[in-house]
Amino acid sequence: MKLILTGLLAGLLTATAAKADEMVFTSWGGTTQEAQTKSWAAPFEASSGIKVLQDGPTDYGKLKAMVDAGNVTWDVVDVEMDFAIKAAKDGLLQPIDYAVVPKADLDPRFSNEHAVGSFYYSFVLAWNKGAVSGEPTSWADMFDVKKFPGKRTFYKWSAPGVIEIALLADGVPADKLYPLDLDRAFKKLDTIKSDIVWWSGGAESQQLIASGEAAFGQLWNGRVFALQQDGTDVGVSWNQNLTAADVLIVPKGAKNKDSAMKFLAAASSPAGQAKFAEASGYAPVNTKAKAEMPADAVKALPDAHVEGQINLDMNYWAEHRDEIATRWYAWQTK
Amino acid sequence: MPGNSLSRSSVAGLPAGTGGALPALMLVGLFFIVPVVALLLRSVTDPEPGLQNYAALFGSGTYVRVFLNTFLVASVVTAVTIVGAFPVAWMLAIMPPAMGSIVFGIIILSMWTNLLTRTYAWMVLLQRTGVINRALIGLGIIQEPLPLINNLAGVTIGMVYIMLPFMILPLVGTLRAIDPMTLRAAALCGASQFEAFRRILLPLSLPGIAAGGLMVFVMSLGYFVTPALLGGTSNMMLAEMIAQTVQSLLNWGLGSAAAFVLLAVTMALYAIQLRLVGARRAGGGL
Repeated sequence: MKLILTGLLAGLLTATAAKADEMVFTSWGGTTQEAQTKSWAAPFEASSGIKVLQDGPTDYGKLKAMVDAGNVTWDVVDVEMDFAIKAAKDGLLQPIDYAVVPKADLDPRFSNEHAVGSFYYSFVLAWNKGAVSGEPTSWADMFDVKKFPGKRTFYKWSAPGVIEIALLADGVPADKLYPLDLDRAFKKLDTIKSDIVWWSGGAESQQLIASGEAAFGQLWNGRVFALQQDGTDVGVSWNQNLTAADVLIVPKGAKNKDSAMKFLAAASSPAGQAKFAEASGYAPVNTKAKAEMPADAVKALPDAHVEGQINLDMNYWAEHRDEIATRWYAWQTK
Repeated sequence: MPGNSLSRSSVAGLPAGTGGALPALMLVGLFFIVPVVALLLRSVTDPEPGLQNYAALFGSGTYVRVFLNTFLVASVVTAVTIVGAFPVAWMLAIMPPAMGSIVFGIIILSMWTNLLTRTYAWMVLLQRTGVINRALIGLGIIQEPLPLINNLAGVTIGMVYIMLPFMILPLVGTLRAIDPMTLRAAALCGASQFEAFRRILLPLSLPGIAAGGLMVFVMSLGYFVTPALLGGTSNMMLAEMIAQTVQSLLNWGLGSAAAFVLLAVTMALYAIQLRLVGARRAGGGL
């Protein structure tokens, strides 16, 4: 019966199934996927002759349905790293063929047996200069409604970031964050709950800050970068910036596995990573990439702010994903 | 007579006319009944046979809260929609037909615009820095922006706006079918306008209200986009919760159980309405 349902679901998804000299790349849409198409897919098509079809947005439910039903139409998928670790454990992913994908220059923080880094990013503290007097300099300031009144915006879904921010604001030292003290984090979040506006996607986070609807927020650094490029008067603090990563995975049973591995090699190459980083403001996962980027583009990257930088623990999250999510939604809907 | 018996024998004992409904029934059967049965089975087999998903569902304060909240939102939206739709429907029913069709067109027009676009438009209007709050502050009517978004008020405004046509349409049909003489008779017997409304018009229009109300209520129960964008997390509705459970947590068993409970409750409501209003009238008094 599981098969019938997953079969039905997967049947709906076959629209973009690729032919022999084609493959399907799936990502989150928007400016990120545009940059990936331009920086990775286009040069790859030219050099390999393999056509890269675009699909999206990434949907973990669809991914699981495809693998369960044995009808996988996505060959390379951009996913969050904590999901990738869990999905690998659940047997949903193809091991990466590191004979095809050069591993030597990949940042070991963001690549593993089943995933090659896509890009990495930081959560930073951003604010609308017109809506805030003074300069917030730490996550603690986002919890200080007296000193910094106004709405603050945080990422809506249960994911690495907000819990850590609450703990840091409550005085937990960066090297003592894990294992996460959820009780303490939710208690801290309770103090500003009525002042929180949640964002559920990157564009929404930009809109909230740009309009002043939220005075401050926890944003992806690439989204702040884009706001500044557009001339919006936005301040940013890199103090305690929190890194997380997207990775590229190949679902188990992908029909164009060999093309997929070649695509991964191109995407994670110094040139591919440099181009994408320059277009998006997200950081390259290939340590050789920065040498190929203009100096001022390098300055906008999380790499330029390693002092006080904190790596969100993807392995911890992969391990405790469900447990934290249960607590998260229970607290949020209360 | 021969022709008659032929048409009857062709669909083995079923009333004449059933044959024409077969394609639609097959479509529903294949693309609704089969997936629903699959859903039900998954909720009692994933990850292992048993009722653990239902136990988790009813044992979880979160799901119970989201359920109650979903019914609260649907109830509020339905009530406000009925109150808002009634005067419009009445006006449409008594208007000269030419003018009526223009108003009708305006109402239908709103349904042709993309749902997401309309919801985003409401965000722009309702935000703290939105058009409404800015105008009111500019006019000196209020000092602090009104909380019109990320709460129940925002969800209600956005959803009532979308639901109004679904209430107005069946209601107009019912109101048009009411003999205007009954109202004149009430007036002649000395009933005030309010009295005539309360004792004549309202009872006679009940089938339309019930049909439209049920449709609005049921549609509201499953709504996703509007509550997600205009509501806050404490207004999270079941559809959004199920989507998270299935898409992000990959807990299909629990998601299926939640979806099935919602479906069962909806069916129960429909059954109750059939009993109260009668099968013919529940369909809109046609």
